[in-house]
Amino acid sequence: MTPAYLLKRLLMVAYTLLVVSLLVFGITQLLPADAAVTILGQSATPEALEALRTRLGLDQPAWWQYAQWLGGVVQGDFGTSMRNGLPVGGTLAEALGRSLVLAACSLALMLMVAIPLGVVAAVRRGRPSDLVVSALSYVGVSLPEFVTATLLLLLFADVWNLLPATGYVSLSEDFVGGVRHLILPTLTVSLIMVAHVSRMVRSELVDVLHTDYIRAARLKGLSRRRVLLRHALRNGLLPTITIVALDIGYLLGGIVVVEEIFAIPGIGRELISAVNARDLPVIQAGVMILAATYCLVNFLADLAYAYLDRRIQYA
Amino acid sequence: MTGPVLEIERYTLDYQTGRSTLRVLDDISLDISAGEVVGLVGESGSGKSSLAWAIMRHLAGNARERGGQLRLDGEDLRGLSSSRLQALRGSRLAMIFQDPSAALNPTLSIGEQVAEVLVRHQGLSLREAWARGVALLGGVELKSPEAMMRRYPHELSGGEKQRVLISTAFACRPRCLIFDEPTTALDVISAAQILALFTRLREETGVSALYISHDLALVSRVADRVAILERGRLVESAPAATIFSAPAHEYTRRLVSAVPDPARRLIDQPPASATALLEIHKLGVSYGRPGFVDRLFGRASETTQALRELTMTLSPAEVVGVVGESGSGKSSLAKALVGLTPFAGEIRFEGRVLSNAAGMNRAYRRQVQMVFQHPDASLNPRQRIGEQLARPLRLYGLAPGESEKHAVARWLEEVRLPAEFASRYPHELSGGQKQRVAIARAFAARPALVICDEITAALDVSVQATVIELLLELRKRHGTAYLFITHDLNLVRQIAHRIAVMYRGDLVEMIDAATLDARGASHPYTRALLEAVPRPLRGHPAPSSLQGTP
Amino acid sequence: MPDSLKRLLRSPQGMIGAVILLACLVLVLLGPWLAPYDHQALSITERYRPPGAEHWLGTDQLGRDIASRILVGARATILLSLLATGLAMLIGAMLGTACAYLGGRFDEVMMRTMDALMSIPSLLFALLIVSTLGKSGMNAVLAITVSFIPGMVRIARSVALAQRRQDYVGAAIARGESSLWIVSRELLPNIAAPIIVEATIRVAFAIMLFATLSFLGLGAQPPAPEWGLMVAEARGYFFQAPWMMLMPGLAIALVAIGFNLLGDGLRDALNPRSGER
Repeated sequence: MTPAYLLKRLLMVAYTLLVVSLLVFGITQLLPADAAVTILGQSATPEALEALRTRLGLDQPAWWQYAQWLGGVVQGDFGTSMRNGLPVGGTLAEALGRSLVLAACSLALMLMVAIPLGVVAAVRRGRPSDLVVSALSYVGVSLPEFVTATLLLLLFADVWNLLPATGYVSLSEDFVGGVRHLILPTLTVSLIMVAHVSRMVRSELVDVLHTDYIRAARLKGLSRRRVLLRHALRNGLLPTITIVALDIGYLLGGIVVVEEIFAIPGIGRELISAVNARDLPVIQAGVMILAATYCLVNFLADLAYAYLDRRIQYA
Repeated sequence: MTGPVLEIERYTLDYQTGRSTLRVLDDISLDISAGEVVGLVGESGSGKSSLAWAIMRHLAGNARERGGQLRLDGEDLRGLSSSRLQALRGSRLAMIFQDPSAALNPTLSIGEQVAEVLVRHQGLSLREAWARGVALLGGVELKSPEAMMRRYPHELSGGEKQRVLISTAFACRPRCLIFDEPTTALDVISAAQILALFTRLREETGVSALYISHDLALVSRVADRVAILERGRLVESAPAATIFSAPAHEYTRRLVSAVPDPARRLIDQPPASATALLEIHKLGVSYGRPGFVDRLFGRASETTQALRELTMTLSPAEVVGVVGESGSGKSSLAKALVGLTPFAGEIRFEGRVLSNAAGMNRAYRRQVQMVFQHPDASLNPRQRIGEQLARPLRLYGLAPGESEKHAVARWLEEVRLPAEFASRYPHELSGGQKQRVAIARAFAARPALVICDEITAALDVSVQATVIELLLELRKRHGTAYLFITHDLNLVRQIAHRIAVMYRGDLVEMIDAATLDARGASHPYTRALLEAVPRPLRGHPAPSSLQGTP
Repeated sequence: MPDSLKRLLRSPQGMIGAVILLACLVLVLLGPWLAPYDHQALSITERYRPPGAEHWLGTDQLGRDIASRILVGARATILLSLLATGLAMLIGAMLGTACAYLGGRFDEVMMRTMDALMSIPSLLFALLIVSTLGKSGMNAVLAITVSFIPGMVRIARSVALAQRRQDYVGAAIARGESSLWIVSRELLPNIAAPIIVEATIRVAFAIMLFATLSFLGLGAQPPAPEWGLMVAEARGYFFQAPWMMLMPGLAIALVAIGFNLLGDGLRDALNPRSGER
């Protein structure tokens, strides 16, 4: 990996985040609502509103407000919430922590299930196990998170009464309780990704199993096991890195929905309540943070790919 | 060992597609004795690769064996258990593939891929196997074998990769080897080196081999005996020395007469013309531009020079051949001439000077036409043949008194295709038919020069012969000049007046085709090329079925 | 086209997908007339009826017939999703083809910008837009359209780029054809098929996204019989009457499956070379 490649990738990330920030700021500027009214309420006096506008810089031109805001963001200052006057950064950081626990669990569960499923389907192509996996994946990709969550809640929390329905318990305070509260949200978020990723793994691996070098390996007299594990799997799973990284977008979207349904105080829930209350700084910060997470994951995935695939040292 | 090493006895194979079955191999019997190399020659669809897969016991899921025996050293291959089979493959029976780049795993080191065979079949430890691997790579004349073991396939050239695969195939001292077009993907000189290596190894080890190829001339040089396969049937099996001079079967005779033979010239001398049709002056083509970060790091040399200061002229009705391996710049030349790539230098056509693609006016576009290598790609898959033939007629006008429909039918007839093809789509035609359509499309513009970029490379040799015949006939009728780009030196020596030899972007030599045998070439690369091309092994000249006059 | 249709119906995915979507078409066209009850009719006595002979899919907390509501709501859910995807497809195809054909600086800036847009997950993008423009069905359509455009641009560009490198385009340029002819008559027919396939699959996502937005209270507004909204409203009565949530949820899933299957079936059927030979 050359420094030029790294620099190129980093510049791309920076450009991406710049465009995102412009977009986020631009769209929220179009809000018909007056932030000062939102904060002080309809009954505020014109003088108070004017004073607040001056204090918030709302009387300045848009580009100046953008520069101020971006300057703050770069230093980690996302402004203060319009609803409670608390710094946005601190609140969201705490919420992000909870969301990341959920994201990490979902990602891990997804990989543990999707890869074996995809491999089995590819190796047993055209046989009943393959057909079952592919039928299930059609169902999986077609179930929105809120439907999955509903079904899971119905079964586990109502019919069988095995798990708590909603709420959040910190893992550090009550580990068992925390895990019990995490199970259903994790299942919900990972299902759609399991369906998608296992399909991708299957099709990539099927392609690899039809290449000349796999044929050559088998005709060298190598065992099926070695051909699959040593020759096919690595090449078949490499593209999965990119696919999973791109799926992070779905994952983050799914987390927003699932947090809302299961009442988990994560960044998604913060965002939705901010949208409902038109709390600008929180919306801006939340979207920026999630987009940055996506960029970071994809940046790392590119590096991992370049490192693992000998053919691509720099693109 | 007395009996034959490999015995194929009355072997019959079908492919099942839906409800219908297709016979791929029909009652094949063929023996290979110890130390013997048998060439198996056939065109695409003849079933030659299927026979290789059958012997290796690696048949497709829809293959149905209808009968016959396959024996290696008397042992029945069809009845082997899968564990016996695994032990046999790669040790006593090994196979070498067409494309060495595809046959090596891109993410495993060369060393691992060589050593794993030894670990598997000879029970060596990884350390011992690695040491043996180094010796094996040295044995196939690869330089610095220790370093080579640690490299990855993409770091090797095509010839080097094929050497690695050959060393792996020979690693466990096989009784019989199967070669499936092992040099087809390589350039002429690497192919000759691979063949020389095989000849040496064969003498050293006394291995038997089945050598599958479409190239009769090459096989007649490599094999002791040649078997000819036509649509699943073995029509003839004869000593390599006599297959060209005394072909017994009618199909073999046709095949033999279709093989390009430089001794048999198919073209007359061009009409002497005072004025040149096309003059190319210091033509250069380069690809790539430095990106932002590259410039930041001061690396401006990312561009590659595909063609350097090429100068040549072409007379009306002249055929100039261009030969060279891939990357020699021959395709860049073609692209520059039809304005598909930016170029430096000048093109002078009928006295008009062009210094960029924008200067190519309608008259030039009409007069200079191009036929591409793959008709699959050069014909639009979603337009009917008639629509595609009508385009040049719409752009450049019809002959007086002729309707568009008539003109399309006439051009189809000129390339000997039925007029009803006008309403078909390209995928309904065979490869040779599609290339005829592409040729008709070029001629429909009534050009003075047609650039042919490897137009027969994707075709079978008998189809190639008919396409070449057609081209020569069209030239006679319309007085067209050709720039004929190919990697096949034998072919171009039959049909070109002059041959431009290209090497890594340079025109190294312009040779006169008629007097090449007498005078010889002057540039060392040309000499190496001439030496490397396998010419048909012939006792005396065979009767020609083509119409050209020598 | 009849050939492709035959091929489509011969594959199991294509067949099942086509049947499901044909049923959807009937719902969209005739839903209100097929509905056994007035979908807005309230009835205190008929509240929380489980699925049965009288009410096939049960009734909700206000005694409205769920089957009727689903039948009537099909129009909103399916048509708006189709509209959003269709708009995204048109804009994306134009931008993507332009990128591929023009190349150079324009392409680079465009693609980097699309990358940036893609880094905002589509649901968040939709949230952002709906929060700005206000909560309504049409704003949700706009949000989905905008969030789908980058993906469509990428696909259109890569397909167009692959086709642009084909020799038939080179042949057309060498022949002296105009750019307009090359793009509209040579390139477009060849890139349309893969783009339509991609768009078909994306309709499934659009349906799910639209329902999700409604579920979060940001799309269709009560008392519209939109499926996602129905699920959201039923949440409060989850333990009493789970069918209230299940039925519209399953309807969403079924339609999404239909589009996914049809897309995969079309992918094979529209390939000109997967024909007879």
